[in-house]
Amino acid sequence: MYRIALKMLFADRGKYVMLLSGLTFATLLMTQQAGVFAGILEWTKGNLKNMRAPLWVVDPKVEQVNEVKALRDTDVSRVRSVPGVGWAVPMYWGILQARLADGTFKPVQLVGLDNATMVGRPARMVAGRIEDLRLPNAVVIDELAIQRLSRGRPRPIGVGDLFEINDREARIVGVCRTEMSFFGYPYIFATYDQALQFAPRVRKMLSYILVSPAEGVPLATVAARIEKETGLRAYTEEDFGVSTVRWFFRNTGIPTSFGMTILLGFIVGVAVAGQTFYAFILENLRHFGALKAMGAGDGLLTRMVVLQAFAVGLIGYGIGLGVTVLIGSLFLKKGMPPFSMPWFIPVGTLAAILVICAIAAAFGIRRIRQLEPAIVFRG
Amino acid sequence: MRGAAAIGPGTGTGTAVRVERVSKVFGRGEAAVQALKGVDFEARQGELLMIVGPSGCGKTTLLSVIAGTLEFNDGNVTVFGAGLHGMTRSEVTAFRGRHIGFIFQSFNLVPTLSAVENVSIPLLINGVARREAEARSRAMLEKVGLVGRGGDTPLQLSGGQQQRVAIARALVHEPSLVICDEPTSALDRENGRRVMELMHEVARAPGRCVIVVTHDSRIFRFADRMAEMDDGRVARVHETHETYEAGDH
Repeated sequence: MYRIALKMLFADRGKYVMLLSGLTFATLLMTQQAGVFAGILEWTKGNLKNMRAPLWVVDPKVEQVNEVKALRDTDVSRVRSVPGVGWAVPMYWGILQARLADGTFKPVQLVGLDNATMVGRPARMVAGRIEDLRLPNAVVIDELAIQRLSRGRPRPIGVGDLFEINDREARIVGVCRTEMSFFGYPYIFATYDQALQFAPRVRKMLSYILVSPAEGVPLATVAARIEKETGLRAYTEEDFGVSTVRWFFRNTGIPTSFGMTILLGFIVGVAVAGQTFYAFILENLRHFGALKAMGAGDGLLTRMVVLQAFAVGLIGYGIGLGVTVLIGSLFLKKGMPPFSMPWFIPVGTLAAILVICAIAAAFGIRRIRQLEPAIVFRG
Repeated sequence: MRGAAAIGPGTGTGTAVRVERVSKVFGRGEAAVQALKGVDFEARQGELLMIVGPSGCGKTTLLSVIAGTLEFNDGNVTVFGAGLHGMTRSEVTAFRGRHIGFIFQSFNLVPTLSAVENVSIPLLINGVARREAEARSRAMLEKVGLVGRGGDTPLQLSGGQQQRVAIARALVHEPSLVICDEPTSALDRENGRRVMELMHEVARAPGRCVIVVTHDSRIFRFADRMAEMDDGRVARVHETHETYEAGDH
C-alpha cells in the first residue's frame, strides 16, 4: 500500500511539483540564509583565524576579538612572569588608512607581530618571505589588499611596490593568504615595532598579548592563573571565538534580521506545503474513502499520508540543500558574500522540514480520520 | 473479529445477510431525519438481490449499513453469520476488507494507478505481498475480459472497461458479499447488460451473495429477487421473473 501511496502522490504532477517547489524553496531560504549568517559569524572571528595563538590576553573589559582596549607594554612582562606560561608576545592590531597611488585612501587592518618570533604570522605566504618583515618599512599584504590597493597603478600592487600607511612609506616584501574578517578590510602585517611606527602615537599601543602555556600545563590552568595574577582577561582561542559570537548576538541586529528571513522560509514552507498537501488530500478524498470502505483502517491510511508528506519533504529538502551547496560553493569561490555550512544548519533545516511535513500531514490525516467510508456511496 | 473468522464463500447455503429492525437517524433534534425505520429483510446465499425504490427512500443508507460503512442507531445486521452490531469500528473495517467487495456508481478507481494496481488494492490491504497480489489481479482482469489491459490507467479505458476493472477489484479477494451501488448508471445499455451478466454469474458462486442498489429498470431482469423500499422501509420482497419479465426492454 505504501508504494501505491507514493504513486498516488508522484503521479499527481501538478500538486507534486507545487509541493516540491514549496519545500525546496523553504529549504533553500533556510539553509542559504543560515549559511550566510554562519559565514558572517565566522568573519567576526577573522583575527582569531589569521593570527593563531593558544591564549589571548586582553583588557578585562574586552568581550570580542574585534574590540581593542590597549594594554601597557609592561603587561607583557607581567604575563611572562605567571607560572606555567611558556611564552608571551605582544601584538598590535588597528585599522589605519592606506593611501593609494591615485591619492585616495582605503582602510586596512594593520597587524604588528613580535619582532623576534613573528607569532601570529599568516599561515600561507603566496609571494615573498615573512622573515623579510624585519627589513625597514617592510610589510606583507594579503591577496585582498592587492584588489583594494591597486587602484591608480598600471598593474596590480605586489612585492617591491610602495604605498603609504598613515603618511609613512610601506614597502611590500610579501603577499599572504588570509581569511576574510568582519570588517572586510585587507590585512597588512608588519613587525610590532614597525607597526607602532605606522600607527598614530597614543599612550598605550599594545592590543593583545599572545600566550602559550609551558609544556604539560593545561590551557585553562594558565588562563586562570593569568587572570588571577594580572587582573587581565585570558581567553583560549575557542572561548574568545564564542565570546565574540555572543557579543554579535547581543549587540547587533544581524541575528534578528537573518532569523526573520529563516523564519519566513519556515512559514513559506508551512503555508505552501500545508495548503498544497491539504488540497491533494481533499482531491483524493473519494479515493481515501474507497480505500476505507475496502478495509483500509485509519492506521494504514495515516501511515500512507505520513509517507507521502515525508517523501516529498525529503526530496524537496535534498534538492534545496543541493542548490544551497551550489550557491555556497560559488560564494566561497568569489569570497563574497560570507558563507559557512556547519553541520547543525542542514540538520536543523531537516528538522524544520520534517516539522513542516508533519504539520501538512496532520491536516490531511485529521480530514481522513473524520471521513466516513459511506461517502463512496454518495453520487 | 467476533463471529467473522469462519465465514467465506462456499461455507453455507442459507441466509447471507439478515437485517432486523434497523433504524438510522441522520442529524439531531428538529433537523433529524429518519432514513431507515425498522428495516427487516434477508438476502440469500447464491442470489443477486436488488434493492429498488424512489430517490430518498433509503436504498443507499441501507446498502451502507449492510456494507458496514455506516453505523446504525438500532437493530441487528448479520452478514454471513457475523453480527456487525457487536463489532468495534476497527473490527468492522477489517471485516469489510476480508469479506465484502465493493462496486461503486462512479467506479472510484484511483486514476494515477494502473488497472492491475487498482485491482490489487483489496489484496494489499489484506496483507498479500505485492507480486502475488498483482499476479492474482492480472488473472482476475482476464476473467472479466480485460486481457492485456492491466497496465492501462483508468483514463485509458472506456466506461465499460473501467467498471470491469472495478468488478475485478471487488472480486479479487474472493469476498462473500458483493455490494454494488448503481453499477450501470454511468454505462450505456450494452455495457450495462454485459456488466450485469457478469454480476449475475458472480452471484452464482457458492456461498456468495450480490446486493445491488439501482433504479435502472433495464437491469431489473438480472435480479433473483427484489426488495422494494419506500419511505425508509422494505415494503415488499419478491421474485423478479414473475413481475419484471417484461422489464427487458
